[in-house]
Amino acid sequence: MDSIKLEIYRSLYSSVAEEMGVSLRRTAFSPNIKERRDYSCAVFDRRGRLIAQGDHMPVHLGSMPMSVQAAITHCKLGPGDIVVLNDPYAGGTHLPDVTMVAPVFAAARGKRAESSRNHDAAAHPLFYVANRAHHADIGGATPGSMGTATEIYQEGIRIPPVRIVRGGELERDILNLLLYNVRGREEREGDFAAQMGTLRVGAERLLEIVVRYGFKEADEYAGHLVEYAGRLMRRALALIPDGVYEAEDFLDNDGETDDPVRIAVKIEIRGERVVVDFAGSAPQVRGPINAVAAITVSAVYYVFRCLIPGDVPASAGILDPIDVRTPEGTIVNALPPAPVAGGNVETSQRIVDVLLKALAQAVPQLIPAASQGTMNNLTIGGWDFRTGKEFAYYETVCGGMGARPGADGISAVHTHMTNSLNTPVEALEYAYPLRVRRYSVRRNSGGRGRYRGGDGVIREIELLTDARVSLLADRRLMAPYGLHGGEAGKLGSAELLIADQKHRRGHVAKRKKLPGKFSLSAHAGDRIVIETPGGGGCGIE
Amino acid sequence: MKKNSQPSARNHRTRQRLRIGVDTGGTFTDFIVISKEQQFTFKVPSTPRAPAQAILTGLARAFDELRADRDASPEILLEIVHGTTVATNALLERKGARTALITTAGFEDVIEIGRQARPDLYNLSVTRPAPLIARELRFGAKERVGADGEVIEQLRQSEVKALVKTLRQAEVESIAISLLFSFANPEHERRLAEMLAALDVPISISHQILPEYREYERTSTVTINAYLAPRVSRYLQELTAGLAQSLPKQQASQLRIMQSSGGSISAETAAREPVRTILSGPAGGVVAATHVGALAGCADLITFDMGGTSTDVALCRGGARTTNEAQITGLPVAVPVLDIHTVGAGGGSIAYVDAGGALRVGPESAGADPGPACYGFGTRPTVTDANLVLGRFAGGGLLNGEMTLDEFRAAAVLDQLAAEMSRASGTVVTREEAAQGVIRVANANMEQALRLVSVERGHDPRRFALVSFGGAGGLHAAALAASLRIPRVLIPNYPGAFSALGVLLADVSKDYSRTVMQVVESGSKLPRTIEQEFHVLERQATADLQAEGFTTAQSRLLRSLAMRYRGQSFELEISAAGDPLAQFHQAHRERYGHADPQRAVEIVSVRLRGVGLSEKPVLPRAAQLKRHKAKAQREALVWLDGKRKRVSVYDRAELQPGATIAAPAIIVEYGSTTLVPSGWKAAVDGWQNLLLDSVRSLA
Repeated sequence: MDSIKLEIYRSLYSSVAEEMGVSLRRTAFSPNIKERRDYSCAVFDRRGRLIAQGDHMPVHLGSMPMSVQAAITHCKLGPGDIVVLNDPYAGGTHLPDVTMVAPVFAAARGKRAESSRNHDAAAHPLFYVANRAHHADIGGATPGSMGTATEIYQEGIRIPPVRIVRGGELERDILNLLLYNVRGREEREGDFAAQMGTLRVGAERLLEIVVRYGFKEADEYAGHLVEYAGRLMRRALALIPDGVYEAEDFLDNDGETDDPVRIAVKIEIRGERVVVDFAGSAPQVRGPINAVAAITVSAVYYVFRCLIPGDVPASAGILDPIDVRTPEGTIVNALPPAPVAGGNVETSQRIVDVLLKALAQAVPQLIPAASQGTMNNLTIGGWDFRTGKEFAYYETVCGGMGARPGADGISAVHTHMTNSLNTPVEALEYAYPLRVRRYSVRRNSGGRGRYRGGDGVIREIELLTDARVSLLADRRLMAPYGLHGGEAGKLGSAELLIADQKHRRGHVAKRKKLPGKFSLSAHAGDRIVIETPGGGGCGIE
Repeated sequence: MKKNSQPSARNHRTRQRLRIGVDTGGTFTDFIVISKEQQFTFKVPSTPRAPAQAILTGLARAFDELRADRDASPEILLEIVHGTTVATNALLERKGARTALITTAGFEDVIEIGRQARPDLYNLSVTRPAPLIARELRFGAKERVGADGEVIEQLRQSEVKALVKTLRQAEVESIAISLLFSFANPEHERRLAEMLAALDVPISISHQILPEYREYERTSTVTINAYLAPRVSRYLQELTAGLAQSLPKQQASQLRIMQSSGGSISAETAAREPVRTILSGPAGGVVAATHVGALAGCADLITFDMGGTSTDVALCRGGARTTNEAQITGLPVAVPVLDIHTVGAGGGSIAYVDAGGALRVGPESAGADPGPACYGFGTRPTVTDANLVLGRFAGGGLLNGEMTLDEFRAAAVLDQLAAEMSRASGTVVTREEAAQGVIRVANANMEQALRLVSVERGHDPRRFALVSFGGAGGLHAAALAASLRIPRVLIPNYPGAFSALGVLLADVSKDYSRTVMQVVESGSKLPRTIEQEFHVLERQATADLQAEGFTTAQSRLLRSLAMRYRGQSFELEISAAGDPLAQFHQAHRERYGHADPQRAVEIVSVRLRGVGLSEKPVLPRAAQLKRHKAKAQREALVWLDGKRKRVSVYDRAELQPGATIAAPAIIVEYGSTTLVPSGWKAAVDGWQNLLLDSVRSLA
């Protein structure tokens, strides 16, 4: 291995992934992709091992490789093929996250693809490229596909790995099948086109690398990059004192019953290796907060990557020294047909909280108190009288970051497993029959302490039309913990301000407290007020 | 000092002008003086605490020089164009005015929340820049305008009066106003500004500075403007007064300021809208490059400005492009800014082997202090040290030998690095191999930047020339060009004052825009309202350009449209000349590889650039070009392609127009060194530019 080439390939492959991301963001239609950047793009070697991923969504990190494996296992891939999937039980995360995977063949260029495929059936892909994007709607009972549910069937259309493009030709039948089962068909089609276009960009760049350096070397260094990330991770693990560190934390409930949902972890560090065992976590639940194993792996991946100083290529090697054990049929490794919409966005955050709580015993100087621990997934869907079309608005709302040993937590920011942007008020009101009434920092919601937790926010939205409103949120009952004597952050809350429909239009007739997880019908003039949790404090004030 | 006599200048205008370009840098303030008879460049040390001082010193020197050349006739109109960092530094150091922000009530925290994201994903100790204006000085006005410009809640007079009172008590020095949807209906902002005028402090109004949608980006831009206005305005007043005092004999003098967009603007406008100047630092070089490039027959070029800590690159196709998505220290600046991409690789970038065994270069830089090891103080290997170890400075030191380089020190730090690399790879790595590795990795980083602005945006680098003007660039330019298959490298004359030349060459320009959100269904034509919008902007632009002293004949109005497919969030800026719809589909395909002419298109904003054509100084050109082989000054031993080779060394100052040089060669000059590697040949053109051409087929 040559230190110089290693660095050059690191930069080459990661810029392919980054470029795919820019292309996807700029051409997508779903606000979730284009404004909120809820997507990931990645490059895999010929064995399907992750060699680069853009700094997009941490929650996708550990799960993208499983998508590629699922595509390889389920479909015989030829030049010019693109596989689409979203099945959480076959390489996906939750249904709105649609993943596309394409093999990159040496000859996979333009129209020759089909013929070369027939001539050279034995040819193997040189690389794979993949992207995943959170679509604004994927069908199911609730507009936005992020509502309450008790089975995955209520959450939207479930796509096993299937070829949506064969030999460069779009499978119109399959595309139509998908489009007829989702809200906002035109927008979905545009997003699918953007995802496919992005894969082509990635494939083209990889082939340029092959032309310039030769496949033998490019492939060899793809392998070195995997080992390189593994070395960096082992170094980081070696710096953590050996020992067994345990912690538990709870999700408020599953939205169906009132029972808190336990997540437990035992982290055992021995030299350069670690076992992360989730034994003792609650069985899978009826409500939509089950996480599939891919998500749990992503959360582990995220936490340990944060412990490596400097930047590390997001490659398969990071996980090499980490043994993640997730008992089947539990909240951290659910089995079908459990609903999973919130596993990706809520349970993943709590898994991070638990992992950090355990590690705070091992490396207290590095670990922050609990951040808001939820993404406050708000979905509003209905009929837009202005366009005569249905609409589905989905957004996650930021909150407080936990205080760090040595620094206050940041206020009004997304933490851990998400980093999606907000939708500008001026974009939102233009696109949807909604009006934002207030968007401000929720002062003094961060936990007190020597270092203060960051504050959450208040977001108040008025409906201009009758609509279905859903919230998937947590930390409404179990506050974000403080560390080393710091206080917990304030709980989040939601409220419906019911408009006076008869007498004084525009005035509030009634206020109704809402739980963390609900779906309800509301009327034009009603307002939904979300207050997000603050971060925990750190140290005694 | 460098002088060029100019015997054959065209006698084009009756009014004589004396033009001086001034570019303030951290260490030196550069001057270029161009009159009818002569032109010369020089530097004076910058005076960061009182930046006007260096300029007045330099001007005095310029006039001494001119008087000696019997040229400073009082009839001359003096025109000074100035690239300033006063606004930039005030922002970087957070030394702006005590500023208040007025927003729609309920949205006072928009600048604090930003886009709710953190700048670094996998960093538990990540920080975000604090808002420029603290919560106590952000005030909400009860009012509301909707997406179509309709008034949902009237701004009451009593509300305005209360605000005026509060702000008076707050004793603010500057005010920013940014209400929701003010671009759709500016009435409320206007009324607030009228009443607040009584406070007699500068007021920055969002619908005037940037009437475009996205409240955070707009509010950030207008807030930065307000924060900087008092300071910049003070500085420009000081400078203007100083000019009036020190140049009593001049009948008239005109002071213009360089903007980030690559155009200049009157000092009065710059004082009102300083946010337009904060990223103007690298703009001068890009403007000069496009001008010099066009003269030399390279209209399509990529600029490459490699400095000590970073490298700036920009793609110019028939002119420089601007973007509205720039940021400075994490704060968005949504006014037009030259689309310059910066990468953290420069001569001072530090090389090291990381924990995983990869050789990394930058972004950490040795900067000016301690500087590269070979400057005598640094202890870690840098790109400059690697170049020195390989003999690429041809044994001559820097700045014509004014600065000697410590070769032993450079060798020692590279030996250390080689030892680390040997450990990481398990084979023996020599000092020279390590040095070549440092250069390859640095080049790979810079190549990514060049690819990003070209290939990744749908441009074929083979159709471009690389224009290299940073001090550290000449040693890397040809290798980079080769890796991108760019056939020609142009290293312009005026190496010491290229930015100053650029600010002098810049046209006066003013940008106007308005978000309109008009949908055009496929098969339809542009709505008529677009034409009306342009008319409104054009009336404004014409009036403003007149006020800046330009007749209609000296003005150009450039229309463009920010367009996207309906439902997308990012726009492409398309010239409104010709068929903008067809051009949009074409541009979308070029940039992203796909397009859909069946889809409805949305015109997000109309934009207009008003350009006042400044009279361009005529750059001296050799009357005739006699091709001849240049005479080498000496020879030096240089590591090239893994071997030590004997290389001819030339002094650029001695090279005449028409001179040709065969590879491998090194050309030294004050402030820069150029390597002509094998596969390339060099020639000097009529403007004294150095042209490197690839002799290999690049097809």
